[in-house]
Amino acid sequence: MTKPMVPSDAELLRLMLAGDEQAFTTLYRRHKGHIYRFALLMSGQTSIAEEVTQEVFLALLRNGSRYDPARGSLTSYLCGAARNQVLLLLEKERPYVQLVEESDDGEAVPITQLIAGDDPLGDCTRNEANRLVRQAVLALPERYREVIVLCDFQELSYAEAALALDCPVGTVNSRLHRGHALLLQKLRAAVRLDTTASDAQGMRCFA
Amino acid sequence: MNCQDFESLALALARDSLLDNTTREQGLIHTEGCERCAARLAEERALHTRVRAVVAELAGEEPPARVDAALLAAFRAHTVTPATSNVLPMLIRARHWPSWRLAAVAAGILILIAVMTIFWRSSSSLKPQRDGRAGLPAPVITPQRPAPKMGGEPPVDRDQVVAEQPKKLPKSARRRASADSSDEAEVVTQFYPLREGEDLTELESLQLVRIELPGSALSEVGLPVDPETVNEPVKADVVLGQDGLARAIRFVR
Repeated sequence: MTKPMVPSDAELLRLMLAGDEQAFTTLYRRHKGHIYRFALLMSGQTSIAEEVTQEVFLALLRNGSRYDPARGSLTSYLCGAARNQVLLLLEKERPYVQLVEESDDGEAVPITQLIAGDDPLGDCTRNEANRLVRQAVLALPERYREVIVLCDFQELSYAEAALALDCPVGTVNSRLHRGHALLLQKLRAAVRLDTTASDAQGMRCFA
Repeated sequence: MNCQDFESLALALARDSLLDNTTREQGLIHTEGCERCAARLAEERALHTRVRAVVAELAGEEPPARVDAALLAAFRAHTVTPATSNVLPMLIRARHWPSWRLAAVAAGILILIAVMTIFWRSSSSLKPQRDGRAGLPAPVITPQRPAPKMGGEPPVDRDQVVAEQPKKLPKSARRRASADSSDEAEVVTQFYPLREGEDLTELESLQLVRIELPGSALSEVGLPVDPETVNEPVKADVVLGQDGLARAIRFVR
């Protein structure tokens, strides 16, 4: 028995642009998770992740014909669009919420200043280690954060990430190394701070 | 292999990817004789494990159904009217603003309305003989008057138009609609239901979609259409249910 043919992204996109609703929903289901999670990891906010997902697929509806399969995968193309949207929205948010303080050398502020999620109750119940990793990623400067999210969390190849970020593969490689070093540094600091906080809690006076 | 060579391989070694057997072996042999690089590899492996755990935790995270519905509606709107390429569905932001920002926006709107009211009253009291319509924008769309007659129509109360709020929508949709309409001081009509007998307040969630329609669409809900502008695009907000079906419409100027 032969397996049913799975249509490629390029084929689905062609059908979608011709008005095929089934092709659109298939394409959307195939990629919506990637885009949503990318935006969520980049921003730490579900509202931004939702908005980015909407905007990316609306842009695909309007300008999908600009995608060239010869240049790379549709995943890279969509991640590139999502990245631009995320940066745009984070820039708009910046006057209200200072997510990351960057110094010239790419260092960020201590992670303790960033522990103020939208959902504090949910934060408490989530796995502590995962929470620390996500917050450490959020505290990274954008240029390192986007590479780490794409290559480590989304498992894109360096070439695919380079296409999404519109930069050479060598830049992806060097940013990934630097990003890892910063991430490890933050995680070490976060674990230390956590330990200090729990020690202090143990010494609390109830008199 | 020296430490510098090892550093360039550390990530790939930790992930166990993109390396041929010989290079991998050389890297691992180096860690046996170099404590620093061994610690570096252990740290990268620990980070990789943590990243995998986060990926597993997020595996089920997907956009909510309202995003699916809104996009499906946008696709349908986009494909139903391909000839009129001016139909550009714009999904209203589903952002959850902090309460202080909402309060600030609401306060701003109230102050604006108060200032406009004072200004309008003082200007009309200075010119009592002037025709009530002369200084007003005279909106083509007249809220709460689905089919007004062209002659003998009383002057439109601008305060009433500016402060017009949808009446049958849930509070969240009204709040969003109010905040959105305040951005560019838009004049909006009331919401006209598109499905008779349905109570929108009973729906779990709603989405507003801004679209453009030909001027002739005004007649569909009983609004007057100017023959000269019948082919010009008219902005409208469509209320969508979770299933992507349009429930109500209002027109915007």
